[in-house]
Amino acid sequence: MSLRIIVCIKSVLKASHLGGPQRAVGNSELNPFDRPALEAAIRLKDTMNASVIALSMGPEVSAEALDEAQAMGADEAVLVSDRALAGSDTLVTAKVLAKAVQKIGAFDFIFFGTRTADSDTGQVGPQTASLLDLPFLGGVKKMELQHGGWEVHRVVDTWEEAWQVQTPAALAMDPRAFIPRPVGLVGLSQVYDQPKLWQWNVADLGLTAEQVGLTGSPTRVADLKKTTHDRSCRIIEGNPLEQAEALLEMLALAGKIGS
Amino acid sequence: MHDPILTDKHRIVRRSVRDFCEKELRPIAAQIDQEARFPWEVAEKMGPLGYFGIQAPRELGGAGLDTVSYAITIEEVSRVSAAIGLCLSVHNSVALYPIVAFGSPEQHQRWVPALAKGEKIGAFCLTEPNAGSDAGGIIATALADGDDWVVNANKVFVTNGGIADICLVFTNTAQGSGRKEVSVVVAERGTPGFVVGDLEDLCGMRANPVTSIRLYDCRLPKANLLGKTGMGLRIGLAALDTGRIGIAAQALGIAQAALEEGVRYANQRQQFGVPLGNHQMIQMMIADMATQVDAARMMVYRAARIKDANQPVTKAAAQAKLFASEAAGKVTDLALQIHGGYGYSKAYAVERYYRDARVTRIYEGTSEVHRMVIAREALRETL
Ligand SMILES: Cc1cc2nc3c(=O)[nH]c(=O)nc-3n(C[C@H](O)[C@H](O)[C@H](O)COP(=O)(O)OP(=O)(O)OC[C@H]3O[C@@H](n4cnc5c(N)ncnc54)[C@H](O)[C@@H]3O)c2cc1C
Repeated sequence: MSLRIIVCIKSVLKASHLGGPQRAVGNSELNPFDRPALEAAIRLKDTMNASVIALSMGPEVSAEALDEAQAMGADEAVLVSDRALAGSDTLVTAKVLAKAVQKIGAFDFIFFGTRTADSDTGQVGPQTASLLDLPFLGGVKKMELQHGGWEVHRVVDTWEEAWQVQTPAALAMDPRAFIPRPVGLVGLSQVYDQPKLWQWNVADLGLTAEQVGLTGSPTRVADLKKTTHDRSCRIIEGNPLEQAEALLEMLALAGKIGS
Repeated sequence: MHDPILTDKHRIVRRSVRDFCEKELRPIAAQIDQEARFPWEVAEKMGPLGYFGIQAPRELGGAGLDTVSYAITIEEVSRVSAAIGLCLSVHNSVALYPIVAFGSPEQHQRWVPALAKGEKIGAFCLTEPNAGSDAGGIIATALADGDDWVVNANKVFVTNGGIADICLVFTNTAQGSGRKEVSVVVAERGTPGFVVGDLEDLCGMRANPVTSIRLYDCRLPKANLLGKTGMGLRIGLAALDTGRIGIAAQALGIAQAALEEGVRYANQRQQFGVPLGNHQMIQMMIADMATQVDAARMMVYRAARIKDANQPVTKAAAQAKLFASEAAGKVTDLALQIHGGYGYSKAYAVERYYRDARVTRIYEGTSEVHRMVIAREALRETL
């Protein structure tokens, strides 16, 4: 049995300033929550006949993240990049990724990270899955081949669930369960000598500029504000029981717990 | 750090090496220095990632990267632990590289894959008690006897000596004729007569097991001769050209680390009601440190670029080594000064950087020897 896995990864901002941060060389990195998704795919490749394709939508600098993915062990990489994509929200991102997945062709799994370090929505995985009509499971910590089918374990709050999953399917990986391997010099050197990077633009995916980017996105960012939290410290006196009761009362009065 | 001199791929090399070192090496860097312990647990992880064969061809198990990537790797490892940077620099540039450059196809198969994967560690045995800067003054001998060389040598200050499996030994093969014919013979640990001396109790670089290596009537197969007899100095000089780029990169990494610590401390420590960095004299130190580091960095990458372009690199490599090692001396000294009394304590890392930086002006050619090399080249150019 051979497996084909598409891993969606994003190059994220390391630090952002208010008012339209630009992703560029030197301030971007492979989303730390996507590394576990790559790791999960490459672990499957380590144990069975599998091929891994890393897919990213983003500015040119995202090619660096795709290089790293290949150095970790991905076989090929696809970059969807186009000026028209600037300002795309999660829905448009999911649409574009879904189109790219269709263009890639047959596959068994799409892996996602749980969320991104710079936008933190966690929406792109499930949205892409639903656009493609795929079953989706988040928080995945283990995958096992059982009698020719897949058993997928995932964590929801403190529960662990086991699901029988039919492929093709989309999964988002629990970052704690798949500690990513380091990017090695041997891997990087291989990528530089034989890069397998396909680059597509919006037209290649059969989309128009109006369908994507800021114009295609229903989300409107009305305002961005810097928030600050004023922390203060209060020592509660008394024995542990009294302290706990005083703390509960304070939190309840402040509307932080219960009703 | 945005560096216009580097390409995308060099930036990714830097990021990958930095990530690895921060995760694996940073937590133990101070401890291995104090315990004078070589961290095998990290070396074993570095092996499969290519750190021991940075420039060795991929067909022979190496990573096959260019000299700029090599310099960045040594810089980044040394930024966290200079002693491990030293291990990699010597192993890659003056042990493995000469075998790749001057070895026969059989020798490549025999030694390169294991060295490139870090399964075996390499060392460079040139210095003797009475032959340091004057490398031609060595008295080690190799006498031909049947299919063997019978080697007697007393090599001192051997970096990686305590862990090395494969040693390049510089020796006289003139067969007692009174002439000097320097050749390189490869000695493998475990050969009868191969003796590893005690650990040097060093001022810095303490996590590197620097020892003496002695060969007593050690029989080494004739097939262990690298290149031809009499090629020793040529091999040594070629090795030192890349070696110097490695040591320059190492000094740069230490200086970068000291700059970061100096800046951090200047921002955090308050005296006279304001951060240290608000005092003009501290600002001057920071300005000088940052400038020294940047100038050193440009010289190191330039030398690496010249090497990658297959152009004569002796002068540029010597200049980079001279400048970067002296910069590391100044920058670590200033970083310690910014820390005041705390800088003189093992509680802060600058004390280690200060000790580690010192030797970069001594090994693989002292600053004085480098000035001789540079002057010789420069005088020839202007003629
Ligand atoms: C930690 C460490 C690791 C080392 N690793 C290795 C290794 O792996 N392999 C190896 O072979 N060696 C190694 N060395 C040895 C190192 O390369 C030598 O110490 C160095 O070359 C200097 O030689 P020396 O110590 O004999 O000093 P000397 O040559 O005795 O020099 C003493 C002083 O005189 C100066 N001097 C000498 N000749 C002249 C001249 N003509 N004009 C002006 N000044 C001069 C020198 O610059 C120096 O200041 C290592 C040394 C150390 C400390």
